[in-house]
Amino acid sequence: MNLPGWAREPLVHFIVLGAALYVALTWGGSPPDPASRVIKVGASEKEKIAESWTLTMGRSPTDAELDQAIDAYVREEVLYREALRLGLDESDAIVRRRLVSKMDFSASLAAETAEPSEEVLRAFLKENPELYADYGTENSRVSFDQSFFSSEAEARVALSSGANAGEATSLPASIETTAMRDVEARFGQDFVSGLNVLEPGDDWQGPLPSGFGWHLVRLRERATEPPDFESMRGALANDWRNAQIKTRKERAYEVLRSAYRIDIDR
Amino acid sequence: MVDEKYAGQEKIVRQLWKTLSVASVLAVAVAACSESEPTVSETQSGDGTDTVELAEFPDRPYWGDTHLHTDNSVDAFGFGTRLGPEEALRFARGEKVTATTGAETQLSRPLDFLVIADHSDGLGATRRLYDAPRWYVNWVMGDETVLRWYDMMHESPEQSTKAVGELISAAAEGNVPEAFADPEAAAEATKDIWNTQLSILDRYNEPGVFTALAGYEWTAMPNGNNLHRVVMFRDGSDKTRQTVPFPGISTTAPQLWEYMRAYEKETGGRVLAIPHNPNVSNGLMFQMTMEDGSPMTPEYAALRAWAEPVVEVTQIKGDSETHPYLSPNDEMAGFGVKGWELGNLPLTEKTVPSMYAGSYARSALLRGLTLEAQMGVNPYTFGMIGSTDSHTSLATGDEDNFWGKHTGNEQAYTDRANKGQNLGTREGRFGWHYLAGGYAAAWARGNTRAEIFDAFARREVYATTGPRMTVRIFGGFGFTEADLDGDWVRTGYTRGVPMGGELDDQGDAPSFLITAMKDPDGANLDRVQVIKGWLDASGQMQEQIYDVVWSDMDSRRRSGGRVPAVGDTVNRDDATYSNNIGATELRTVWTDPNYRPGQRAFYYVRVLEIPTPRWTLFDAVRFGVKLSDEAMADAVAQERAYTSPIWLQSKS
Repeated sequence: MNLPGWAREPLVHFIVLGAALYVALTWGGSPPDPASRVIKVGASEKEKIAESWTLTMGRSPTDAELDQAIDAYVREEVLYREALRLGLDESDAIVRRRLVSKMDFSASLAAETAEPSEEVLRAFLKENPELYADYGTENSRVSFDQSFFSSEAEARVALSSGANAGEATSLPASIETTAMRDVEARFGQDFVSGLNVLEPGDDWQGPLPSGFGWHLVRLRERATEPPDFESMRGALANDWRNAQIKTRKERAYEVLRSAYRIDIDR
Repeated sequence: MVDEKYAGQEKIVRQLWKTLSVASVLAVAVAACSESEPTVSETQSGDGTDTVELAEFPDRPYWGDTHLHTDNSVDAFGFGTRLGPEEALRFARGEKVTATTGAETQLSRPLDFLVIADHSDGLGATRRLYDAPRWYVNWVMGDETVLRWYDMMHESPEQSTKAVGELISAAAEGNVPEAFADPEAAAEATKDIWNTQLSILDRYNEPGVFTALAGYEWTAMPNGNNLHRVVMFRDGSDKTRQTVPFPGISTTAPQLWEYMRAYEKETGGRVLAIPHNPNVSNGLMFQMTMEDGSPMTPEYAALRAWAEPVVEVTQIKGDSETHPYLSPNDEMAGFGVKGWELGNLPLTEKTVPSMYAGSYARSALLRGLTLEAQMGVNPYTFGMIGSTDSHTSLATGDEDNFWGKHTGNEQAYTDRANKGQNLGTREGRFGWHYLAGGYAAAWARGNTRAEIFDAFARREVYATTGPRMTVRIFGGFGFTEADLDGDWVRTGYTRGVPMGGELDDQGDAPSFLITAMKDPDGANLDRVQVIKGWLDASGQMQEQIYDVVWSDMDSRRRSGGRVPAVGDTVNRDDATYSNNIGATELRTVWTDPNYRPGQRAFYYVRVLEIPTPRWTLFDAVRFGVKLSDEAMADAVAQERAYTSPIWLQSKS
């Protein structure tokens, strides 16, 4: 379902939500005013209670069920107003937090299921280059040979003497066009940071430290593809969605906040 | 369901929904939102076949967690987590998320795959209950207990945890209140959550980079004895949308296997089940009989072996490899046992030693050999993995990044190690009994749903208690040291079988190529052991631990048949250790010195790290908490890995 742009604006949501709330609260002329001692259950309230029942149960309530539902409504209304009168909503941190998260949730709901267009995603990529700064490195593929030494000194001696054969190890001697994330899983973070700054060539370089020891490396190839939109599309959509949820919460808050005069005694 | 058998099944299912899927008022609202799910490419929504270039042989272990709960789980939500599947996936992929209790958190290294395993019973029910208006709970559901839970959930996180503890106890004891709800609407809600979940999984599933597998947890718990299974699918959402999670509370494992068979028949897909932490099953997970106590049939054994190729042997709620009572000659057997050996999950039934054999993996493997000798089929031919069973949506297995079993003991609760823990229990267990959780390693040719699942199905997987050490074993005949120096992986695959494989007895002692490398970003290794289980000439079950290679073998000479301890570099004051003891890599070729022709046997490898701080010690230092004497005595441990076994099959 594709909604027009204006329908996705949080401001619109809040106006609609506010209007709905206003209607709900004033419907039948009985706003939940804690100061009021009148609880009116007229035809419209009855209808609402019956509707709610039908929605949940898949059938209309019997007369007895409706009477019970009305009693429950009245009881809840009485206790709710008494709670407000006692100021329980203000002093109860849990209630406050719950209400806050409900407001946040209503602001972000639409974004969770929205489907961004290609245009939107391209714009998002352009606006957030920092999110994808490492995308090229993480997805670059390398080919290299390595030989292993348990001490740095031995590795240096081997490098200068040209006798590059190292010690026996289960680490592969050669890696062919493998993504850096896979290299990291096998050789660890230190090794990958070292490898990232080497220039490809035919010479043995190093030694690079790893969690295992020291490595001489012949980095034969590094293919770093510039971030390609198609391959990033899924990640972009997920990130965009998350950013949207966050922004919507913030903007919704800004809209509400602008109606207050905030006076902080600093 | 097409099978006639399912007519009765459906009744049970309906009743369950009626019982557990309490408030369904929000079902309509949720359903309305999910119509416009974002679409994803076929590459992401499929099983990954033909999407990435595959290696000739599995080239590295892929790391994952098959047992993670989000806010869709009845208990996880009740315990307080407010993070959903999307945050869970982002976190597992290595991104930073904000935990429910407020702090930002991230994995130091991303995982390669994830199974979100929310409880199929009452999927989303506590969330729906929590979100329902109070009058609805009070009057429509009309159950005093449910209303009390509702109020407790809203009162405070502590009360919420308590309420869900009671709910678990009630479920364990089979008296969840018959709260009045419309089963149709609740079933609809479950289906809706499942489908929404599948869409989210597809969005984060990226062949070659990160695999999001569909799954859930089936939670049978007769009398509180834990028989849970994680159900895991190989398939894309085109197939998994054709099923819904199968409830566990009043169904049995054979019924679950029937459900799995029906799924495969209906869709052409693949599914498997993973029994998890059998340590609190009070001997029921691996019985010598059928569930009802009658003698086991070959049909039952074959079905079980097909359905459950892998067992989760280590997780937050303790370690289920073996128990010191079962393995008195195993000096490393006590890991992750304390607290969990006392009784079943809610501690309503104490464990007596005769129950241990049915609760631990090694004894189950041995029982399998006996049952095979009796009826020709081995029901317990399983591989081994670890996972977290975290209920915080955060798949953390590292000791220095433990986010707690549930939100009620996240890092915000700084004294969590010393506190009694009340997961439906009132006595006996403390925070420090929890492990930080484990991970599953899968030897696969590439990172896709199909490849990861197939590694599980052929048992080419292993368990670790968190560290990512690389462990490999090939079994065959006539392997020599020279084989290790050459292209040993090719040799292993062409002349032998990898972990999880089976060898036919050829009248010679089997030999094994074994390599273990430390976690590249973790602690050094102490030793590699081969654990052999077999039936002796009189049919008795036997086990033996062989130290086959260890660090500094020249100076650490065996004495009295034992390898001396590796040492301990842990500084108790600042939770650090030094990697100046132990080895970075251990490898050997080992031939069974006690082989007898015709013996039924299994062999698996256990790799031990040098001692390192447990999460409790990190907590003590980070939060300035003083651990109790008992907790302090347990604050340093040797983390480990368990491979799947290789079986030696007798020709008889």
